[in-house]
Amino acid sequence: MFVQPWMLYALPIISLPILIHLINQRRFQNVQWAAMRFLLMANRMSRGYARIRQWLILLARTLAIFGLIIAVSRPLSSGWLSVAGGSKVDTTLILLDRSSSMSEQGPAGGKTKLETGRNQLIQSLNMLKSAHYVLIDSATNEAVELESPDQLNSIPQTSAVGASADVPAMMQTAYDYVNANKPGRTEVWLCSDVRKHDWDADGGRWQVMRDAFLEFQLPIRFHLLAYGNVADENRAIRVTSARRVETTSGVDLLLSLEIEQKTPVAGRVTIPVELELDGGRSTIDVELAGTTAELKDHAIPLNADQVRGWGRVSIPADENLADNSFYFVYDKPVARKTIIVAEDRDGVRPLALAAGISPDPTYACNVEVISADQLVSVEWDKVSLVLWQDQLPEGSELEIVDSYIARGGQVVFFPPLNPNQNSYSGVHWKAWVSLDEETPVGTWIGDQDLLANAQSGASLPVGELRVMRYCELEGEHLSLASLRNGSPLICRALTDRRNVYFCSTTATVGESSLARDGVVLYVMIHRALSNGSKVLGTTRQLIAERQPESEDVVNWRAVSETDSLSTEYDVHPGVYSSEERLFAVNRSLAEDAPVTVGEEQLANLFEGLEFDRVDDVAGNSTSLIQEVWRVFLALMMAALVAEALLCLPRKRQPEADSLSKGWGDSGNVGKQSGSSDSNGQTRRASATREVSA
Amino acid sequence: MALAQSRTRTFIDPQVVARLAAVPLFSRRAMLGNVSGIHTSPHRGASVEFAEYRRYVPGDDLRRLDWRAYGRSDRFYVKEFEADTNLRLCLVLDTSGSMNFGSGPITKLEYARKLIGTLAYIAIQQGDAVGLHCIADKVVRDIPPRRTPSHLRGLFDVLEHTQPTGETELVTTLHELAETIRQRALIVIVSDFFVDPQELKQAFEHMRFRKHDVTAFHLLDQQEIDFKFQRPMRFLDMEGGPSIFAEPNDIIDRYQRAMHGYLDEMKAITLESAVDYQRIQIDQDYEQVLFQFLASRTRGKRT
Repeated sequence: MFVQPWMLYALPIISLPILIHLINQRRFQNVQWAAMRFLLMANRMSRGYARIRQWLILLARTLAIFGLIIAVSRPLSSGWLSVAGGSKVDTTLILLDRSSSMSEQGPAGGKTKLETGRNQLIQSLNMLKSAHYVLIDSATNEAVELESPDQLNSIPQTSAVGASADVPAMMQTAYDYVNANKPGRTEVWLCSDVRKHDWDADGGRWQVMRDAFLEFQLPIRFHLLAYGNVADENRAIRVTSARRVETTSGVDLLLSLEIEQKTPVAGRVTIPVELELDGGRSTIDVELAGTTAELKDHAIPLNADQVRGWGRVSIPADENLADNSFYFVYDKPVARKTIIVAEDRDGVRPLALAAGISPDPTYACNVEVISADQLVSVEWDKVSLVLWQDQLPEGSELEIVDSYIARGGQVVFFPPLNPNQNSYSGVHWKAWVSLDEETPVGTWIGDQDLLANAQSGASLPVGELRVMRYCELEGEHLSLASLRNGSPLICRALTDRRNVYFCSTTATVGESSLARDGVVLYVMIHRALSNGSKVLGTTRQLIAERQPESEDVVNWRAVSETDSLSTEYDVHPGVYSSEERLFAVNRSLAEDAPVTVGEEQLANLFEGLEFDRVDDVAGNSTSLIQEVWRVFLALMMAALVAEALLCLPRKRQPEADSLSKGWGDSGNVGKQSGSSDSNGQTRRASATREVSA
Repeated sequence: MALAQSRTRTFIDPQVVARLAAVPLFSRRAMLGNVSGIHTSPHRGASVEFAEYRRYVPGDDLRRLDWRAYGRSDRFYVKEFEADTNLRLCLVLDTSGSMNFGSGPITKLEYARKLIGTLAYIAIQQGDAVGLHCIADKVVRDIPPRRTPSHLRGLFDVLEHTQPTGETELVTTLHELAETIRQRALIVIVSDFFVDPQELKQAFEHMRFRKHDVTAFHLLDQQEIDFKFQRPMRFLDMEGGPSIFAEPNDIIDRYQRAMHGYLDEMKAITLESAVDYQRIQIDQDYEQVLFQFLASRTRGKRT
């Protein structure tokens, strides 16, 4: 990755020393030489080291030029090793996960994952440069053009929210943007904490998305800045229930809450939970043992005339401030009314029985069985659930049901005796199928929706249900329970509010054991009733997410303190009011589950695409991308020094200098003369001795 | 007359010869000449220089009895004197291809011509016989020693026309010369001696065994010592061997180490074999070289 990649075109220059060497080899001179004997000796001796030295010199020179070229190309160092170096980036798409879990701080405290990610993106993108910057944030999921990366720290669309992210949807938005604008080289930078809930890695949308991106002829590269580490000692508080009950002694608010921690605590820890209720504050001590602390129906006395209100519970600050508080609203419970539309009143008796028995004495459950003709006479504003066992609605019936569905009412369709071609939400009944023997339920979804496990974790006895006769379904739907032969038993139509269900058999004896094994039917109906009643009262607990336009979010007013934009109230935790109603907006339950997508699974999501990932931690102030030209300059200098050292002439032997001193000496003549003389003198001396004798 | 003739020779400078003529050429050993000269003979003779006393034996010339010695010791002694004779100077010139090398204005062969020509002239002038042996892979030219001045012309002609060709078979040829040259001669070898010093030592010892007084003029060029070149070179063997391609800067250290080792060995073997060794760089003034050579021998003679 280089700031000035065009300088890399000069890279072939690194072969210059080799070329010069080769040319030099060819540029020899011939010389007549007498002392070949020593030349041969020297040449023989020098073969090994000299050759290595020659190659080392060549290597040093090549490295020096390489270092210089790379240095002037201004290389960038980072974990994003495969970031494009060749062509200039035309558009940079920034996909920012603003979910509640991104508010988690690093081990050293300080900046959150989101803040760190923003800063890293600003630094990196400022260095890389791009013609256009587009932000797609997880809360709005809309593409917003930025003038520069610096805006990431100044615009409100980058602050943390309570809503979960829907990364596949963000990818879809990115795809739509690229598809609509057809930019040049595009870089997609994704900053997320890779929570499983946000990524929906098991969903089918990724395959579609990947194929769509692969079909693009445009060069698109994906980079993931992942903050996958999870604070083990982070605690999250959540209100599971806030009910206003009238007792003989007065009016109480029964508050149930739970505190969760990923790793179990040693022994027992008392956590002071601060309760803010209609402006007043108090503290409740909750004892945490293991990973969960639960407070069940803690009674808080209310004034008798206090019909509805709101409150907030919070725990002391820890790694993630966003999950340390939870808002709730309460109201006088409303009666839960069920309308059963039936063509055969006797056949729906089990349904009426199940819907009419209230699981809680604080509210009543009313059931009214009518025919389709009587729909107009119903007070729809008080209906929580419709159980429809007749031909699917059409005409005026359809309008009434649509209106009811649009305001959040729940409906479960059961098959009529003789289905026609009517359809609802893209689903219609086909023909009845009689089975030779009682067929049990094969699979069902136990983690959510109508057939979810009980609060204790125990699953509903859905597997005990037996079906003898069912009506086939056609159309797009999500199957919540299927028979062993694969036919859907209970399914949900794909609507925005997720409030339209189909049950492919009836509770009539001889068709299924829904009535006989009534637990499943009872739970299913009362869960639908509960969901339906939530939209009827003047208070509602909402999950932070984009609300449908019918909720009229723009007219919400903040009741609790908040610093968010009014257009984003629905994704920011808090209490809001609209006309007579109160809304408590909180993060989803999944945000408290610190489960991340596995590295391999995540890489598979981008299989076939140009993708790389770098893991960062919250609070990291070291830039992801740094200019490292100094390193290459140092390399060049080191190579030059090495080259100079290798080229240094060897230190001359002292004898080399002394050679010339010997020139012209008389050689051995003196010694020989001396010897000769001394012999002569010896001879003379002996003669003299003889004479003397 | 010879000096007049020598004016036409490029390797003889009359002025140099005239200056060097004042210094006689002595041998370090007793020489066997055939006429009287200035060199010591192994035999006793009639010179004025006392040699020794010898007991009288019947038959000795009574005129040579030392009566004073008889008076002092009552014994008969004969007084003997040194005999002076001339010498045979055998000049051995290496004419192999390597002698044609010279990085300066003069080659080793040309330098050798000057040395040999001047030495020959001086020797003839003092009555010594001078011979010339040009050797390469064999004895190329062989002029036996003569002492007549007219002999110089032929010697100079050979010297002038000799060409540096062929390989060096110096050791073999020196062995051959050691046998063919009559005993007790002064042999002056002028060569670059690019042979194995140990083999050369045997040749020198052979000559010493034959009672020759051996002098070796070792001619070297400055570039052969320094080995300084700026670029890769292809070295062509002047004696016809295979050429070698080399980067001089890479091998200069080893070359010089080999050269120094060789020179040290040369000095050692000449010392061991009693050879008068003169290492000469051919950019030196040959007059100075010869003067020092002659003077050193003169000093040896006097002491």
